[in-house]
Amino acid sequence: MIEFRLESRSGIAPYLQLVQQVKHALRLGMLRSGDQLPTVKEVVGSIAINPNTVLKAYRELEREGLVEGRPGVGTFVLKGLDGPPPQAHAALRRSLLRWLRSAFDAGLDHESVEALFDSTFREAAEEEIA
Amino acid sequence: MTWVAWRQHRLQLLWGAAAIAAMTLFLVPTGLGMAHQFSSSGLARCLSTIGFPRCGDLSQTFENHYRGFSFVIPLFMMAPVLFGMFFGAPLIAREMDTGTYRLAWTQGVTRPRWLAGKLLVVVGAALAGAAALASLVTWWSRPLVANTASRFHPGIFDLRGVVPIAYTVFAVMLGVAIGALIKKTLAAVGMTLAAFAAVRIGIELFLRQHYMTAKRLTESFVFGPGKGGVAANSADWVISQNTIDRAGHIVSRGGGFDFSYLAAHCPAVAAAGPFPRVVGAIPGQVDPVPACVQHLGLRIASVYQPASRFWTFQWIEFGIFIALAIALGAFALWRTKRLS
Amino acid sequence: MTVALEATRLGKRFGKRWALQDCTFELPAGSIAGLVGPNGAGKTTLLHIAVGLLEPTSGSIRILGEDPGNERVLSRVGFVAQDTPLYKYFSVADMISFGEHMNSSFDVAFLRERMARLEIPFDQSAGSLSGGQRAQVGLALALAKRPEILLLDEPLASLDPLARREFLQTLMEGVADTEVTVVLSSHLLTDLERVCDHMMVLARGHFRLIADTSDILKNHKLLIGPRERAGAISGVEQVLHQSATDRQATLLVRTNGPIIDPAWMVNQVSLEDVVLAYLDSRSTADANDHDLHAVREVAR
Repeated sequence: MIEFRLESRSGIAPYLQLVQQVKHALRLGMLRSGDQLPTVKEVVGSIAINPNTVLKAYRELEREGLVEGRPGVGTFVLKGLDGPPPQAHAALRRSLLRWLRSAFDAGLDHESVEALFDSTFREAAEEEIA
Repeated sequence: MTWVAWRQHRLQLLWGAAAIAAMTLFLVPTGLGMAHQFSSSGLARCLSTIGFPRCGDLSQTFENHYRGFSFVIPLFMMAPVLFGMFFGAPLIAREMDTGTYRLAWTQGVTRPRWLAGKLLVVVGAALAGAAALASLVTWWSRPLVANTASRFHPGIFDLRGVVPIAYTVFAVMLGVAIGALIKKTLAAVGMTLAAFAAVRIGIELFLRQHYMTAKRLTESFVFGPGKGGVAANSADWVISQNTIDRAGHIVSRGGGFDFSYLAAHCPAVAAAGPFPRVVGAIPGQVDPVPACVQHLGLRIASVYQPASRFWTFQWIEFGIFIALAIALGAFALWRTKRLS
Repeated sequence: MTVALEATRLGKRFGKRWALQDCTFELPAGSIAGLVGPNGAGKTTLLHIAVGLLEPTSGSIRILGEDPGNERVLSRVGFVAQDTPLYKYFSVADMISFGEHMNSSFDVAFLRERMARLEIPFDQSAGSLSGGQRAQVGLALALAKRPEILLLDEPLASLDPLARREFLQTLMEGVADTEVTVVLSSHLLTDLERVCDHMMVLARGHFRLIADTSDILKNHKLLIGPRERAGAISGVEQVLHQSATDRQATLLVRTNGPIIDPAWMVNQVSLEDVVLAYLDSRSTADANDHDLHAVREVAR
């Protein structure tokens, strides 16, 4: 059974943190197809957070097709997560390097690049969910 | 709600019951003893056949024998107000003091129902206790009262019959109302004592004699063995007794003579020598006082309530205190609804 | 959306002092609202009015659609006052009986099971419970009524961190079970952050901020940049707080769009910092109607 934790100051919305932790567990094989996720009551009983946060996270996972909620029974894992194929990784890596080079060429220092990346990443992550 | 009220006041009620049990333990054996003495000494027969003032020696012996019980009277006078102070005053005040009203008034019971539930238990218990005590004291004091004074006499009247019950209910309601007003337990206890005393004294001294129009009796002085005057020490309640002259003006209060007045009006009395002296006590001399009294037309005027009115007065006073209690209860209810 | 608790221009005066003034809000059913403010802000006054322990001086308030203290809502509202008042000489078992006799529908089994789970002995006197145990007993008594709305006055104030965490766990379990609306007041923010989805910030009797927690975090940012550029920045609706050195300015702002100006480093801001900015009497966020409406617009 997966155990959740919450980083209160990470800047990432709490429900997204839960989603990420489930996906991480799926990737590492700690959660497999057919496993049951802890009930909302169990989650909030162990890390005192708003139940709606858990509901939102489970809904998002369901929307992404990763889990399935069965009323009266629980929420179950539908399929595992493999990462993207190796070729996708390599291509993405190359385009990221290109972007970084153009950022440095434009005169941004390391911290500015990080800041720019962080804020854009967050926006994109939330937009993707919305 | 009844369970809650009982559980909250359990300790108080048990202490009250223990106190009454202790008093019973004292009253029953001593009462039986007194009753036995009363009849075996012949005093009972004497009083019922000859009448009070002439049982002289028997009376005196009995009175002396039981002089030590005189503490009982003030003790039982206190009983109603003790109920008021320890059952009534903390009822609401304690909840305000300790802050538990924030718990009690946010459950599923409205404030009026809550108060009614508490009053039912507390007043009910006080009522039962007062009734038990009143009947016990009435029975216990019968020989003493028959021997010494009128049961109508203020002080004795308060301990017998039904009025102690009304005093108790009134005292408890007074405590509750004061507690609702002041909201501090200790202060409420003190104020209950003061307010109760004021009301009781006020009614007893100034109101009671007017429940029914008092009777008036005017009598001539009787000179000879035994005392003069009328109704003294009989079962009637003598409210006032004054010596009046022919015109009806009060000459001296209390039904005796003012010798200086006599001397001023009768030369024979003035000539007879220094005062005070016992009327008719000097042998061989004709006492000028009776003649003077007759000459001046002095009589004794009494204002009294006949003994037959005892129970009527009991029920009237009972009604007054119960009515006051109800009014206080209504006030406490109104106040509780508005408390914060 | 049903409204569990609403107030319109609610005010309360004690003698000459206004403890609450002009308070208006609507709390949707199912929310978990944090009522935050410094001591003396009026939190207890507001809660006491909501449960019928106090009468308002002006304005109105309705809880579950009824007047507070009304017979119809008394059993549907759960309340735990500050410092959890209990009857000192009652045992825990007595307190359970108390709840049972004072409420028509009362889940005694739930309460017993809870006491057993927390390892609180039934014969222990209420006065001898630890702070954490008291708080748990008070919460359990309120939850056993199966209320539709639960109001808690500073439930965490005198608890150690472990007791606080356990209390919140219990509370959240209760919410997960029954979807009860919760209002809890506190002058500490960190615990409220994790559990509240609504924030109501009160200071000196006035509301300074009433909004959704996620909206607050989304629409407030910390900007760091050169001092000379601290003028109108696109995307910034209002500057709530600013501090500056001779070169650098730090602004806490409310946004109405993305901040794309490259001169400004945009950082997330914690809930605590936002709330503090609204509480600060020197801040440019005046507690006037304009601002509250502005915040509500953002929240929607």
